[in-house]
Amino acid sequence: MTDWLRVRRIPGSGTFALRVWFPCGALDEHLPGLAYLTGHALAEGTQRRDWLQVAVDLEDQGMSLSTFGSLELFGLSLDGMVSDWQRGLDWASELIFEPSFTEERVDWLRQQTVAEIDSLSDQPDVVTGWRFLRQLYPGHPAGRPIQGDRESLNALSADDCRSFHRRALERQPLVAVAGGLTESEVTAALESRFAVPGPPHRAVRSLPEASPRTTADVKTSARDQAHLFLGHLTVARDHEDLAALELLGVVMGAGSGLSGRIPQRIREEEGLAYTAQTNPLSGASKVRGRLVIYLGTAEENLTQAEASVRDELQRLLRDGVSADEFEGAKAYLLGREPFRQETARQWGDLLAQAAYFETPWDDPEWRRRRLQEVTREEVERAARTHLHPDQLHVTRGLPR
Amino acid sequence: MHPSTAGGFAGRPQRAGDPHVARLLWGESGATRIETLENGLELCVLSDCRLPIVSTVLAYRVGARDETAAQAGAAHFLEHMMFKGSENFAAGEIDRVTESRGGSNNAFTSHDVTAYYFSFAQQHWATALEIERDRMGGLRLDPGEVDAERQVILEELAMYESDPWDVLHQEVSRLLYPGHPYGAPVLGTRESLRDLGSSELADFHRRHYLAENAVLVVAGDVTFEAVRAEALRLPSGAARRQRLPVADVEATSALQRYERAFGEVSRLLLSFPVAGATDVEAHATARLLAVCLAGGRSSRLNQRLVEEEKLALWVAADVAEMTGPASLSLALEVAPGVEEMRVEERLFEELDRLCAEGVSGEELQRAQQMSFADWTFSHERLQRRALTAALALALHDDRYPEASVRAALQTTPSEASSMARSLFDRDRCVVAWSTAESGT
Repeated sequence: MTDWLRVRRIPGSGTFALRVWFPCGALDEHLPGLAYLTGHALAEGTQRRDWLQVAVDLEDQGMSLSTFGSLELFGLSLDGMVSDWQRGLDWASELIFEPSFTEERVDWLRQQTVAEIDSLSDQPDVVTGWRFLRQLYPGHPAGRPIQGDRESLNALSADDCRSFHRRALERQPLVAVAGGLTESEVTAALESRFAVPGPPHRAVRSLPEASPRTTADVKTSARDQAHLFLGHLTVARDHEDLAALELLGVVMGAGSGLSGRIPQRIREEEGLAYTAQTNPLSGASKVRGRLVIYLGTAEENLTQAEASVRDELQRLLRDGVSADEFEGAKAYLLGREPFRQETARQWGDLLAQAAYFETPWDDPEWRRRRLQEVTREEVERAARTHLHPDQLHVTRGLPR
Repeated sequence: MHPSTAGGFAGRPQRAGDPHVARLLWGESGATRIETLENGLELCVLSDCRLPIVSTVLAYRVGARDETAAQAGAAHFLEHMMFKGSENFAAGEIDRVTESRGGSNNAFTSHDVTAYYFSFAQQHWATALEIERDRMGGLRLDPGEVDAERQVILEELAMYESDPWDVLHQEVSRLLYPGHPYGAPVLGTRESLRDLGSSELADFHRRHYLAENAVLVVAGDVTFEAVRAEALRLPSGAARRQRLPVADVEATSALQRYERAFGEVSRLLLSFPVAGATDVEAHATARLLAVCLAGGRSSRLNQRLVEEEKLALWVAADVAEMTGPASLSLALEVAPGVEEMRVEERLFEELDRLCAEGVSGEELQRAQQMSFADWTFSHERLQRRALTAALALALHDDRYPEASVRAALQTTPSEASSMARSLFDRDRCVVAWSTAESGT
């Protein structure tokens, strides 16, 4: 099988999941919002059918189409009943290779996107999160909303989408299919529909430098709840400490429930927040990810909440990770593995990730082994190397 | 007893290879067994050994609708406290134990039911029942923990109050169900929460958290016999009490309005009363009408108000799953520069048009196909199968899920049209606006 193509049979599944990803996103755009707009415009009609006919044809079969544009990728997901897989491949191929990008549809999508930004501006946690990203990734595409902004969107046209798409098509898109189907039959069908003459996709990495710590306050529309983000840059997904940091994340609170150190301290012991989330690998991809600690709390609790988070991080570095915590985190991640492989949709995503990262994310044994091999010392070393309580950027979203 | 597996779906497009709803949910013949045990617990085991995983759902037949005015918020508060200490699991230990055995857990409270769920790797599934047994029979409710958790719930309340859609939904419920338990917030209010302490919560727990009042569903790589042996150890205390039926809501005779100014974008929530989920056919038809109106890009309201006239940025429809009186709600965000009243008028015109023209066979069939596919996608997950089974058994019966899907697939265009005409009555709806503070 070629490196751009992944197929997996899911015995007993009555559905199929198709993923087509162009490794081309906001990192490659000349104006903010172009990747987002181009990705979404894939559903707006083709040379053969307008947006409505596309919608009617898909919905008549109960198919679910989702198009997207992100920091590194744009493309589509198409899910349907397994008996319709060939039709699904045909239609996806038409959407991918023959999009119309009409002025009228792109213009409306542009207006919707501007309004979406306004709508998101009414969500205090989102507004605070946007500011936080700007502090972490100054001047980098990861530091701005993926939708772009009013100014940049108003400057974009259907021509921009066409040329962005044309450029992406110069390289082979990544294609993955999972479901209750026959692998050889689907592979042949995909090769005939999605192979392009261009070179293979390229592995673009983006590792922005960490910037000096900053603090910012943002006024939000919240009546009385405040939002607190703390964090700094960490590593990209190909870093050798990735698995150790995943385990560290569970120790800190990225697992299920509220058993990690941050939610335990902030919510369970001090009752300061309903939401207390932690992740040392947020957004880690080919772009360098970040440590994010997020709390929703009352304004009068902000100072205490921030101090408690810093104290917990210091304690983690000082005292290390206990044997129980380490074994628990490992058991948790290993135990969750089968739950990530239940459905055609989940497998579709795993297969596409495997193709994109050129790493066997779709191999359950490899996934198990990479976690199994990490030692407690490696987790503690990863904590000391990648956690910097003295370098935390802080963003506080304050009620009006 | 084995759930019914008979019947096909006469109303839906007949296509080869589609899985059957009953098989999707309950598995192959003989894979599911349901029994009421000696301790009064209703036990359902869905054996499925395709993956070495197990999901459990313990659903108590109690929710916010069972509270007195003085207990407002108790069902939800108690759900939080179920993680805060019992005889053998100190506060926070349930999460630690769950994680350390590769599992996950959560819980939710609605007006009708409170449910707790776990998922574990196969070898650890009994942990779920060990925890449930402990907190069913030996919940501690330490006053210090109660006080700390009250603060957490007040933060949760503040979070919902900051969300424009949550505020609209709560206000619509208040107006749609005046004086009815469904009109009150599940979380309670700041005032009611202040008055809830250990003794009030202990009383609520004692009355409702018994095996006789619960349904346990265990799905995955397990046998009925193994689960039964564990489930028999859940404490029982009394004969199953008959739950009071949900009261009806007095129909209003005039359109009701709510309006607030908030944020950058104008938002509209329009709600009509519909039959509850217990009325299988009527509820299924209402769900299909919701799909016809705003269930996909080709739906009526999306085509006209969003894509063609560009009055709204998006539109969505939903039918509440309450067992008693429910509602069909339409939600949309107004496009910049468009007058709110113009959108509202056009929305009502489209509803009038649907009532006058009726639902076409083509659009109904599309809605049926989409609904069936959605159901299939979601029930590929074991946890979802367990949850659907648990809610069916706690609130309806084992035939409910299949009957509900079949009712939707067998609905005819004339039935859907007839329901549309009786449902979309301007004098019975609630119109709730959150208008942009900057004006349009």
